Amino acid sequence: MQYPILENQRVSHNYFLLCLDISEIAKPPKPGQFYNLRCGETKDPLLRRPFSMHRLLRGKGSVHLEILYRVTGKGTKWLSRRKKGEFLDAIGPFGNGFFIEQSVTNAVLVARGIGIAPLYAVGEAFQGITKETNVFILMGARIKERLFYEEQCKRIGEIFPYTDDGSRGFQGRAPELLVDLMRQGKLPRKFTLYACGPANMLRELADISESFGFSGQVALEGHMGCGFGVCLSCACPLRPERVKRNEFWKKPALQWSEDGSRVYSLICKDGPIYDIREVDWDEWCA
Amino acid sequence: MSGVPDLSVAIGTMKLKAPVMPASGTFGYGQEYSEFVNLNRLGAIIVKTITLRPKVGSPPHRSTEVSSGLLANIGLQNVGVKRFIEEKLPYFEGIDAPLIVSIGGESVEEFAEVAKLLNYQKRVDALEINISCPNVQKGGMQFGADLEVTRDLVSRIRDLTEKVVIVKLTPMVTDIRPFAEICQECGADGVSLINALVGMAIDIKTRRSKLGRNVTGGLVGPAIKPHALYLVWQAGKAVDIPVIGIGGITSAEDAIEFFIAGASAVQIGTWNFIQPGGLERIIDGIRAYMEENGITKVSELIGTLTGEPKI
Repeated sequence: MQYPILENQRVSHNYFLLCLDISEIAKPPKPGQFYNLRCGETKDPLLRRPFSMHRLLRGKGSVHLEILYRVTGKGTKWLSRRKKGEFLDAIGPFGNGFFIEQSVTNAVLVARGIGIAPLYAVGEAFQGITKETNVFILMGARIKERLFYEEQCKRIGEIFPYTDDGSRGFQGRAPELLVDLMRQGKLPRKFTLYACGPANMLRELADISESFGFSGQVALEGHMGCGFGVCLSCACPLRPERVKRNEFWKKPALQWSEDGSRVYSLICKDGPIYDIREVDWDEWCA
Repeated sequence: MSGVPDLSVAIGTMKLKAPVMPASGTFGYGQEYSEFVNLNRLGAIIVKTITLRPKVGSPPHRSTEVSSGLLANIGLQNVGVKRFIEEKLPYFEGIDAPLIVSIGGESVEEFAEVAKLLNYQKRVDALEINISCPNVQKGGMQFGADLEVTRDLVSRIRDLTEKVVIVKLTPMVTDIRPFAEICQECGADGVSLINALVGMAIDIKTRRSKLGRNVTGGLVGPAIKPHALYLVWQAGKAVDIPVIGIGGITSAEDAIEFFIAGASAVQIGTWNFIQPGGLERIIDGIRAYMEENGITKVSELIGTLTGEPKI
């Protein structure tokens, strides 16, 4: 499907905000779901690139999809040069999306870098379904120049910035900040965590979730060939005893070993959102 | 000039209404594409390679993009023949297109077991013997790179099935022709080529393979098309059975090159990931080319390369 570009602008450093008119689409996306965009007109780059939904703006008879992305290579560079009025070839929405429960009273969003893109949608979703949920946002980057979107995030919750060098906010990484905030009593005793960022950060958050006893969901990123469950590239190992399946997370693409001791899940189909404790982090980060 | 072109071709007793089908491993179990493609317009449908037992496949990370190509090590992840028959096969009752099941294994015995079980399935029209997967430790490409093993395996499968038998060949051999010839001798109805070339990509910061612990992977996509075309041209001259061309096809023009080189039909692989509706466009493009050039049958194109020096 070809969708018209309504906007495609730099928001900071090498981060861009793309807005597509997807009013024609039958099924609009949910937070955590993604679209696969063709990022070129030739065969190099070849594959589509997955981009998670950042915001969904619904008007009278119109649906606009915002995608927040970072320019990291040839494909995203091409994308950043597309102009308003041009069309983009996008397929989706794909994936399961975050499981957003009205009963959550405290939501802690943990992002690093572009990881804020899908989490912002989570914050907005809580605002949409209930004003009762308190949203806390731990957002950071290597240095303050790479930290962006603070102003926008203030609209959806209380912000705790961090940088590796301490040039803005807490000096250190997200897992350290999270522990620090919990120890200082700056976060409520009970909360649900929603995280997106590098695999190692997610892994540390998973360890912390075990020791502090909170639940959480993570958005995983994997190399995808197709986005719809056929190339089997984006397989992620899960812990067999912890696999979480429910009405929202049906996980149709699980592949179990015959003895049940191993199971792989396709990020594009079963994910990209997983329960923080179901991912086999040792295998995933190996 | 001469009416509607006839796109149909035959592989053994199997009639294809168009010379275009997906390549195994890029089309799931078919159903995944139902929202993108009218499956009934395809020459045939080929499902992911099925093995005797389910396979979880290779550890992460399984793929990386390279210049105009995809390097992947999936390790034949599949549900196994039992679940395939129980859960995936019934879907095809509602589809007209012939069904080709790609089969794999780690030993001749395993291939034979899978072939036997599928032989009882009426809905299965053909078996494509995958002796060329680059990413399994035992079997796979090792079968396809050894003439005697290829002979054993193909004759064994030929003896135990009435289905159409196609053998998918590996490009990782010094000379493709004897492999194609042996398949013909052993009674195969066709050969399909090429499967992936073996490749690598390295992250120079970490000095690790971009495929992690898998280290190597199968190179597919437009990057391999010239090599595929060359091997199809060679195989086409070596055998009389149909050659099915595979390798980096993304358009009708690409497909037509393969017909001219000697292919009777083509399989589209990686391109399905990028344009999941692309198969139909390729079929339409072939028809348009035939109309424009007054070609009434695909056979008028097959193996018609001109300008070859006469030996």
